[in-house]
Amino acid sequence: MTIDKGISAAGAGAAGSPASGGDAGGGPPDGTRARGAPSPIEYRLDPASGVPTYLQLVQQVEHALRLGYLKPGDQLPKVRDVVAALTINPNTVLKAYKELETKGLAAGRPGQGTFVQATLTQVALPELTGLRRSLLGWLASAEETGLDEDGIVALFTSVLRDFYDRRGGADRHARGEVRADSEGAA
Amino acid sequence: MTVRTLPAQPSQEAGMAPLPWRRMVWVTWRQHRATLVSVPAVVAVVALFLLLMGLKVHHDYAALAACHGAGAALCEHRASALTSTDWTMANTVLILMNLAPALIGAFAGAPVLGRELETGTFRYAWTQGFGRVRSTLARIVLIAIVLATVSGALGELFAWFFGPPMRNTGMSVGEATVFVTRGLAFPAWTLAAFTIGVFLGMLIRRVIPALAVTLGAYLALDLLAWLVVRKFYLPELAPGRIVLLQRLPAVPHFWPAQFIEAGWLLALSALLVAATLGLVRHRVA
Amino acid sequence: MNVIETSGLGKSYGRVPALRDCTLTVPAGRAAALVGPNGAGKSTLMNILVGLTVPTAGTAAVLGGQPAGSPAALDGTGFVAQDAPVYKSLSCADMLHLTGNLNRRFDQQYAQARLAELGIPLKKKAGKLSGGQQAQLALTLALARRPRLLILDEPLAALDPLARQDLLGTVMTAMADDGVSVLLSSHALAELERVADYFIVLASGEVRLAGDADDLLAGHRMLTGPAAEADLIARQQSIVQVRRAAAQAHVLVRTSGPAEPVPPGWEAHPVGLEELILAYLRAPGGAAQPGPAAAPRPEPTEVAR
Repeated sequence: MTIDKGISAAGAGAAGSPASGGDAGGGPPDGTRARGAPSPIEYRLDPASGVPTYLQLVQQVEHALRLGYLKPGDQLPKVRDVVAALTINPNTVLKAYKELETKGLAAGRPGQGTFVQATLTQVALPELTGLRRSLLGWLASAEETGLDEDGIVALFTSVLRDFYDRRGGADRHARGEVRADSEGAA
Repeated sequence: MTVRTLPAQPSQEAGMAPLPWRRMVWVTWRQHRATLVSVPAVVAVVALFLLLMGLKVHHDYAALAACHGAGAALCEHRASALTSTDWTMANTVLILMNLAPALIGAFAGAPVLGRELETGTFRYAWTQGFGRVRSTLARIVLIAIVLATVSGALGELFAWFFGPPMRNTGMSVGEATVFVTRGLAFPAWTLAAFTIGVFLGMLIRRVIPALAVTLGAYLALDLLAWLVVRKFYLPELAPGRIVLLQRLPAVPHFWPAQFIEAGWLLALSALLVAATLGLVRHRVA
Repeated sequence: MNVIETSGLGKSYGRVPALRDCTLTVPAGRAAALVGPNGAGKSTLMNILVGLTVPTAGTAAVLGGQPAGSPAALDGTGFVAQDAPVYKSLSCADMLHLTGNLNRRFDQQYAQARLAELGIPLKKKAGKLSGGQQAQLALTLALARRPRLLILDEPLAALDPLARQDLLGTVMTAMADDGVSVLLSSHALAELERVADYFIVLASGEVRLAGDADDLLAGHRMLTGPAAEADLIARQQSIVQVRRAAAQAHVLVRTSGPAEPVPPGWEAHPVGLEELILAYLRAPGGAAQPGPAAAPRPEPTEVAR
């Protein structure tokens, strides 16, 4: 069974075209697609990333939302289809969709499937530029103290984790960015 | 995409009435088609032989009996030449008929469960909705019916075939070797051998060893009947030699003896089936 | 509903115990993986669950309390034994007809369509199929019975990687379509991680570990710190395994959650499933019941470098 080339959310940059079926990405902004039209996206898994499967699915949906492949009203791939294509446990897909529901990004309609409910707030360009500049400044000072790239990554991920732990997002991060940082933090 | 056509239903539906027995007819036929075809086929070939030779035998002995009067001695001399070869052939067939139940029973019985266990298919067959004790019972009974019918018919045909030679030499139907090849005894011995084979197939779990032990067990049972059991209902005759030259009266209580022999053989068969089912219930894996 | 429930289950062949004191509670809707080395008792356990073996101690029930091997249990349980046994001299169509006769429910249309999808001709003798095709046939027969519980004994052992994918795909799709619960055994862990969300670790006839994958992962962590303090930690925590070198030690411990404080000078890391299972397989006499903090303390193992 081949895995169709869909959106690679884990890949860097290259935006593939939406999967076939349904309209060619057009339609009104609130995305009223015909009922029964297949989802615009497909998932792929990166088994070497160390990220739990359900989180990879969540991240790919969020990524697709940010890039505009998914609009409110679009249907997320049916559990059955995901399972058949990726050979994963259906509970994993359900868990991912539940997480998206908790975040308010998707909602399930009984008997029909799971549909996109909201968009992710797009950060405006000026704000992004400002954040980028301050980050570059921080990196410069970090380098001055003698940290190399790995050290910078380790420090950043450790502080990032603490930041969200304090916010109560412990669950997500404790199992999210797993082995890569434990290696660096040791 | 393959779509289900039946809606999911809870497992406690329909009050869990057991599945109907008639389903096992096709199942038994398909699972044991080799046995159910080959045994009747072989028996049919033998029957054809008995039929054709039997006509000859009847003709020859009738010719012998019809020798009267002036040229009687010469007539008898000529007729005896034929009947003595007939007698040799009939004796051979008699021996084979005595062996037949053992062979039929072993070859039909040992593979019934023995092959399931040997090949591991019992792990499929005995985890289906139709319970394993019930399905095994159905298979045993259905095959037994076929074997009983076929062997009963063969026994009757042989009795007709063997009639003239037997009357001519004065052999008695009470003679053990003759007694077992006719009436109820012949099918009863066949069923006994079959149930021995089925039981040993279940016990030993391999077909060829079970087959060998079945033949041995049958021999032991045969000897037991010969030496011990029959004394209770069949009068003492001269020790069983195939060629018997004395003139003896017909056994007056032939049929009661037949019923007794068939009776204890069938009781033994039922016991073996029960033992087999007990093993199926408790000692599968 | 608990789709599998055993209590003190044991099976001995003469003096030899194949299974002892197994207590399991597997909720419905899971794909449960039964892992353990050869001879651990996985097949014995499965045989008991489908009624092929009668236990010598304890009880086993499936599908919400139906005694294992009872008509109700067998009716709702689909089973594919090791090496996917089928009658080799029968055609696939005959196998379908046979299974239909032997069961209360049989979705003939589904079975035929599925075999067609797989490219398995109905007229072909079952013995002439490839290993992967035979496994798919056996699985199709089991699924066409519309079971609520599917039990597969080492379904992947004799299959090539592509056949394994196909088989697991069929099983997962059946779960998605019908909500059937699955119990499958294997001694190859890597493939199961993606597919199973409940794990039962069996070794030497005993349940070493059992629970939802998420609970197991949340309930353990690896503490890394100075080797000199390893013994102290061992006394304070519920430990599973200690690995120590000259200066550093890794201690696998049970934890009540990420909020539990880390001993000063030590770091806590999450544990991977494979690492966790291997640690329990090495720990003699250890048994962790599903749910946190209910476990008796086993003897931890020491691995020194």
